[in-house]
Amino acid sequence: MSKIIKGPSTRELMEQMVRESEHLSINDRRDFLRKGVAAAAGMAATTIAGQSIASEVSKANLPPNEPAWGKQLGHGVVEHPYGSPSRFEKHVVRRTVPWLTADSIASISMTPLQDLKGIITPNGLVFERYHGGVPQIPAEEHRLIIHGLVERPIIFTMEDLMRFPSVSEIKFIECPANGGMEWKGAQMEALQFTHGMLSCCEWTGVPLRVLLEEAGVKPEGKWILAEGADGSHMSRSIPIEKALDDTLVVYAQNGEMLRPEQGYPLRLLNPGWEGNTSVKWLRRLEIGDKPWYHREETSKYTDLMPDGRARKFTFVQETNSVITSPCPENPLVKPGFLEIEGLAWTGRGKIKQVDISFDGGVSWVPASLKGLVLDKALTRFSLVTKWDGQPWLLQSRAIDETGYVQPTLGQLRKVRGGNSIYHKNSIHTWKVAPTGEVTNVQIT
Amino acid sequence: MFKLLDNKLKNSLLAVAIGATLSLSGIAQAGKYGIGETATAKEIAGWDIDIRPDGKGLPEGQGTVEAGEEQYEALCATCHGLFGEGEGRWPVLAGGEGTLTEERPTKTVGSYWPYASTLYDYIRRAMPFTAPRSLSDQQVYDITAYVLYLNEIIDEEFVLTKDNLAQIEMPNQANFFVDPRPDVKNTRCMKNCADPDKLQIAGTLRGITPVGHFVEGADAPAASHDAQMEQEQHKEKARKATLKGESLAAHSSSGAVTLSATAEAGKPTYEGACKVCHGSGLTGSPKFGEPDAWTDRIKQGMPVLVDHAIKGFTGDTGVMPPKGGRVDLSDKQVEEAVAYMVESSR
Repeated sequence: MSKIIKGPSTRELMEQMVRESEHLSINDRRDFLRKGVAAAAGMAATTIAGQSIASEVSKANLPPNEPAWGKQLGHGVVEHPYGSPSRFEKHVVRRTVPWLTADSIASISMTPLQDLKGIITPNGLVFERYHGGVPQIPAEEHRLIIHGLVERPIIFTMEDLMRFPSVSEIKFIECPANGGMEWKGAQMEALQFTHGMLSCCEWTGVPLRVLLEEAGVKPEGKWILAEGADGSHMSRSIPIEKALDDTLVVYAQNGEMLRPEQGYPLRLLNPGWEGNTSVKWLRRLEIGDKPWYHREETSKYTDLMPDGRARKFTFVQETNSVITSPCPENPLVKPGFLEIEGLAWTGRGKIKQVDISFDGGVSWVPASLKGLVLDKALTRFSLVTKWDGQPWLLQSRAIDETGYVQPTLGQLRKVRGGNSIYHKNSIHTWKVAPTGEVTNVQIT
Repeated sequence: MFKLLDNKLKNSLLAVAIGATLSLSGIAQAGKYGIGETATAKEIAGWDIDIRPDGKGLPEGQGTVEAGEEQYEALCATCHGLFGEGEGRWPVLAGGEGTLTEERPTKTVGSYWPYASTLYDYIRRAMPFTAPRSLSDQQVYDITAYVLYLNEIIDEEFVLTKDNLAQIEMPNQANFFVDPRPDVKNTRCMKNCADPDKLQIAGTLRGITPVGHFVEGADAPAASHDAQMEQEQHKEKARKATLKGESLAAHSSSGAVTLSATAEAGKPTYEGACKVCHGSGLTGSPKFGEPDAWTDRIKQGMPVLVDHAIKGFTGDTGVMPPKGGRVDLSDKQVEEAVAYMVESSR
């Protein structure tokens, strides 16, 4: 079912009906369109505050009528050798906020969290972040060099890398600037833009530890420079402890080779750490005794504090959560039973508990975690309740297995001020109006 | 199963097993799996481009402010501004000293960056934006010197070298410290956690979020750079049409443009090289799809436009660097891209 909640104009409805009638015979088509026009006229009149649903246009396919698709055949196999989502789901796409960046080549797009189920982000919807656009790299011409403080510098082909025993792990990846537009106030009118620099996939590849053992890191090797092969040659310094712990060198996501946007044919994945460290189009790992202090770990991805000093190497994505239904894109449409759902995640391990508040944080009730609860993966929470048109100030608060409790915005601002850009993981508030409309507000 | 084998076969299987064990232990010295070739010094040298604060990685050479000025104005100023002030939303490089504690800090090389080595490293690996890895080591030294000069970190006469770059002390170097998080401590309170009467509720700033996909009649930015540009162009056309007293309908024909084969061939070059500036009209460049910006230029004829694009041109509104800084493009590619822009902007 389409989730578009805007009331389309009559012209748009007509266009949609014409599209939907494409597969009908000429007589059925005429009949469909005639009925549709009447329905559209009725709907346009009853549209209230943009709350009508576009897919309710035609009754021709509803009982007792036999729907159009029940009276004819559909397309056969391999019509679409690589399948796409239903054409009725065209609104489920990545989006950006153009004024954030100078150009789409060095920019970011957000995942439509409001439309997703479970914990896995489909490959085509994983948020994008590039510094020099997406390179098109043939796998057979890609190389990974490991060198520096090692016994044997190695150059790997993709074929070499895929010969190593592989692991597959479900991990989230999040840009540390997720939510960063809202340090000083609520600015974004949609979940996709407040929290969408966040995705979660099953990643397949080789633990970096295995490759380092293969090269033999010398005792003085303490840091690793990871570098991309794209035009930005993005580079980050990674402490050896992380590399030996859970860093992966991955070539596949959700069962297929990486998408070009996600680093095809090879990327680094630092689970639970700021997404920028998971360097895409990975071509080089240099082992050294000190960090490199490159642009992405000095000018950017450092957190400016109110006293003018700045935090460096702020790697971990701290415990965070957000309610994905309802949200501005998914308002409440009718009173009655309701499942409140959302996502929680932490770079420090597993989510242990999520609580929900209906009154802006005065009182809280526990939600339940549903489905898989995995280390450094998105975790879905749920609370079934009833809504009878009362206003809510809806919040979620996640607690991780270390006992860390997701902070309030006031607590974060008190320590960090309003100019640190990165790592805003505060409790988020949706205001639910008696009409069911949901808006982004901040409570302090 | 072994019972069925004769002794000869048994012995040979044993030999294979021992051989396998031996060769595995042999590999162990070079790594458990022995996968991957040893990288040669030459292979590594070509990719090993990184520089560290202690100067490790710096190539031989030196640079001057004077030479850097020329390079900077030709290759960098289009986006970063003549004095490092930044054009559009491109990064500001100079100034901002003393602003880090202000409401709106300006983080530049001089006001924020802790090490000068980062500047050399970054220019070498990623600049100029449209033509990364196209600069010689010499050019990088020159431009690095000039950007340091713009920030008043070195004076006009300073000669930047492999040996003195690491000695340069940046003003903000001492002000970085390692992540102390977790830095805040919330508790899992369940009842009476706040005074309801004291809650301050602030709504969302309206009109700056792309919400056209779910809010009817939203007059808000689009959700992609291209759509945003289209939206702005449409508004601009509507505004002009109103001024001239024309109805918009006459202008808003589908906008379909029939392109020549040359222009069609120029599209990828435009997308990859020219769009960065011509897509938005950055620093006075004629904006793609804006007839007003192109009409007078088109009158000069294609040969002139192509010549300017290839050799570079300084006009009243801005500077067109030779091939837009993309010296790797062939003359033919530039010609095709010009055709694409011209035919799409009539």
